[in-house]
Amino acid sequence: MAYRTRPAVVGGATTLIPNSTGKSLEELLYDVAQKAVASAGITYDDIDGIVVAANDQYDGRAISVMAASGPVGGVDRDILCTPSAGEHAFVTGALRVASKLFDTQLVLAWSPAEVSSFSEAQRLAADPYYHRRLPLDELSSHALQASALGASVENLADLSHSVLTKNRANGAVAYPDIAAYSSGVPRGDHPVRWPIFSDMIAPPITGLVAMVLAGEDFVADRGLARPVWIEGMGWATEPSFLGDRNLGGLPSLEAAAAQAFAEAGVSDPVGEFDVAELADATPHQELLSYEGLSLCRRDGWEAALGDGTFHADGRLPVNLSGGALSVNPIFCTGLMRISEVARQLRGEAGAAQKEGAARGVAHAASGIAMQYNTVIVMNNQQPGTVQ
Amino acid sequence: MSDRIGIIGIGQSAFKSRREDSNYPELVREAVALAMQDCGLGFDDIEAVVYSLSPDAMVGIGNAERLGVDAVGAKNKRFLRINTGGSTGISSVAAAYFHVASGACDVVLTAGADKVGECGDSQTVLNKIWDPIYERPLPLGTISMLAMSAVRYMHKYGMSEEDMARVTVKNRRHASKNPNAHLRKECTAEEVLNSRYLCWPIKLYDACPQSSGGCAMILASERYIREHGLDAVWITGVGHCSENYYLGDRMSDTARADHADAFALKNSFARAYKQAGITDPGTQVDVAELYAPFSNTEFHAIEAAGLAELGASPAMLREGQFDLGGRIPVNPSGGVLCTNAIAVTAMVRVAETALQVWGRAGDHQVKGARRGIASGNGGDHQFFGTMVIEA
Amino acid sequence: MELMTRKEVWNITYNHALGKTASEFFTQIKESARILGRRCPSDGRVLVPPRAFSDESLEATDEWVEVGPGGRIEAFTITYEPFQNLPEPPYAFGYVLLDGASTAIGGYFKGIDLSDPARAAEKLVVGTRVKTCFAEEKDRIGDVLDFWFEVQD
Repeated sequence: MAYRTRPAVVGGATTLIPNSTGKSLEELLYDVAQKAVASAGITYDDIDGIVVAANDQYDGRAISVMAASGPVGGVDRDILCTPSAGEHAFVTGALRVASKLFDTQLVLAWSPAEVSSFSEAQRLAADPYYHRRLPLDELSSHALQASALGASVENLADLSHSVLTKNRANGAVAYPDIAAYSSGVPRGDHPVRWPIFSDMIAPPITGLVAMVLAGEDFVADRGLARPVWIEGMGWATEPSFLGDRNLGGLPSLEAAAAQAFAEAGVSDPVGEFDVAELADATPHQELLSYEGLSLCRRDGWEAALGDGTFHADGRLPVNLSGGALSVNPIFCTGLMRISEVARQLRGEAGAAQKEGAARGVAHAASGIAMQYNTVIVMNNQQPGTVQ
Repeated sequence: MSDRIGIIGIGQSAFKSRREDSNYPELVREAVALAMQDCGLGFDDIEAVVYSLSPDAMVGIGNAERLGVDAVGAKNKRFLRINTGGSTGISSVAAAYFHVASGACDVVLTAGADKVGECGDSQTVLNKIWDPIYERPLPLGTISMLAMSAVRYMHKYGMSEEDMARVTVKNRRHASKNPNAHLRKECTAEEVLNSRYLCWPIKLYDACPQSSGGCAMILASERYIREHGLDAVWITGVGHCSENYYLGDRMSDTARADHADAFALKNSFARAYKQAGITDPGTQVDVAELYAPFSNTEFHAIEAAGLAELGASPAMLREGQFDLGGRIPVNPSGGVLCTNAIAVTAMVRVAETALQVWGRAGDHQVKGARRGIASGNGGDHQFFGTMVIEA
Repeated sequence: MELMTRKEVWNITYNHALGKTASEFFTQIKESARILGRRCPSDGRVLVPPRAFSDESLEATDEWVEVGPGGRIEAFTITYEPFQNLPEPPYAFGYVLLDGASTAIGGYFKGIDLSDPARAAEKLVVGTRVKTCFAEEKDRIGDVLDFWFEVQD
């Protein structure tokens, strides 16, 4: 399918706060939205619509878009909310721009660390009919997925340690003041949910991610600098019950990648992308992403991690930002993957910048055992006009 | 024109207080099955799903959309959830519309359900919509919030409790003709006026019920509709607009929005009308399904839709202008006042409008309706979605 | 077979950061029984309760302004129905535009006989002058419920 106009990322801002914030959520939202709009070189008068995403149970606010609307400019504007995932806000914003009914969209997701227990909040998502009495938080679901993967991958512990070491090293460069364990990777402390050990996940921090999107005409009329064009988008979903899934694979990611790659005309992902940001709430997720995105099948993981294909200086650096293994603002890690690719392609990634990065792919996953998978292909050359 | 977007299938439950025969996803599935049957397509034809669900706490399941994935047949498909509170249903139709309007998809399903009757006390959940710092410590709920809108509307325009009662009488009469409505028993103005006060001046009969049931709609591109020889009605205008979050910000002489009125609903309609080419809604609109969970709020909705001047609607309603058979029937389905399954209430407004212009509304059909409007209100009277639907 | 139901309760604790602006507001209420607003530099409106920014101008507010203690009722309701986790009815509350403020603040109305709804409602009509009353200093915790409104004679 062809979009009526191609949307581009034209600006963005990220706020990451490891400790106490001293600011209210509304104040943090105001700050990040202001920064994002300014970074695009436009003013709020240019913002046609807003799409946000947050989780009521993490925020402690029912209908969390309500409190956010004012701070992010919702008064007298069109604002929607996709609480299923932060990356769904991006998709919805991009569709709105692509429809030509809007010139621009502001997209935001946030994740405060004000809840006493993320685990408890997540367990409310288990249905009260069959699963609520089980200790089923997101980490448990990731652990079930990891153990299912372990059934077909012999050296999973070593592979996951390679991913962890790689991403933590990247995180130490990209976010030296914030990244978890930036001084090194501790090994082998206690398992939090077998086979996931406490050192395999990063602690939750407060985070807010904002991105500004605009269509071709608006970018051209305003002469906006460094637009990053959306070449392809795919998003797909796993079934509701874990028992209905083969947790050792991710068919929905394959479906999402197929949608995005078909739109973008991608046939050789490793060869055609300069950077990738993949879901990695646990190291096992990144491994599954390699396969779902056709970057590398599971029988090639050992070789690829061994020869540094996905390392910072490799053929396709994965998670130069350090990923969620280094910086973990839980609900907005998905939108953060997209935003980190856009920052690379805009040349704004600072110490983590890959020289000359032009085309990249982002994979965001949300929900129980990566139930939602979203794939975004972006390019800083306008497709169809520059080769 | 070849790039219009049509509604090709509609399904809705017969709404009731309780549905102990169905759990939550089964209720979603009920509506989806009806919509699929209505358009004659199969699940393989659906390319994307927009899931309609307002506060998680109301169904008592966090991110309950995840549980609904199977009910809407979304496995390995594009799927996302919309929540703008009470306007969620119309916001979901709008999001489905953008899926098609962007060129990304040809056929999109939007669906949801609610079981408000299973929530121990919806007003307790709804108190949590206010910010924990300034307004939540107050004993606010959606009833008291809109009771204060009534108080301000009375002050500005002189509405009486009798005026409010007439809205209920009209909508109950309409609902008695709609087999899917929840409260179908007609009532008299005396019964409304003699019912007990919930939050002054709102009485029990001025208030909507807590309903259980689902709604689903299927949208498609005009090209797909033509190629497959499908029957459709057309979405010709889509609008959204928002007000301030803090209620107190809508209560002064310098405020942009007045809590008596529905400032952003008016602007939302202006956007939809502009897209649809409507310049004089009072003469160009045949039927309206306007979100009004309490009798008093139907007045400011009618005015925001441009069907009456500010403050003029109570007198026009008294004359029967908004009755079935009147000049512009408002809420011929019985409206939110007779059926409120929050997650899909605003989708039912769109569905009912579509059925009207399709000529498929049955006993509550508005004769010859060709163009209709629908609205949804969400948050603390904060988010407003609108649509224009044409035959 | 009997159709079954299952009772489930949600109970999660949050620690919401108030930020500097709200913290100052509540400190002034607790320590000095004063209500402060914040002025928006672009349109001059005084936001009460105070916000760090205006959601209309999207400018940061930059000045503290003391408002009240007198004001005018902008909206009220009297609740006669019991709701879980809310006070025993009847009670009256609503919004007051304090003198010097551009936006209204919520609070309870006390000192009114609520037994007859219509007569009570007449005493609280929009535009009625009220004064802000504060709890004793020892009872103030720094919350919007540390004060309420009473109709001025």
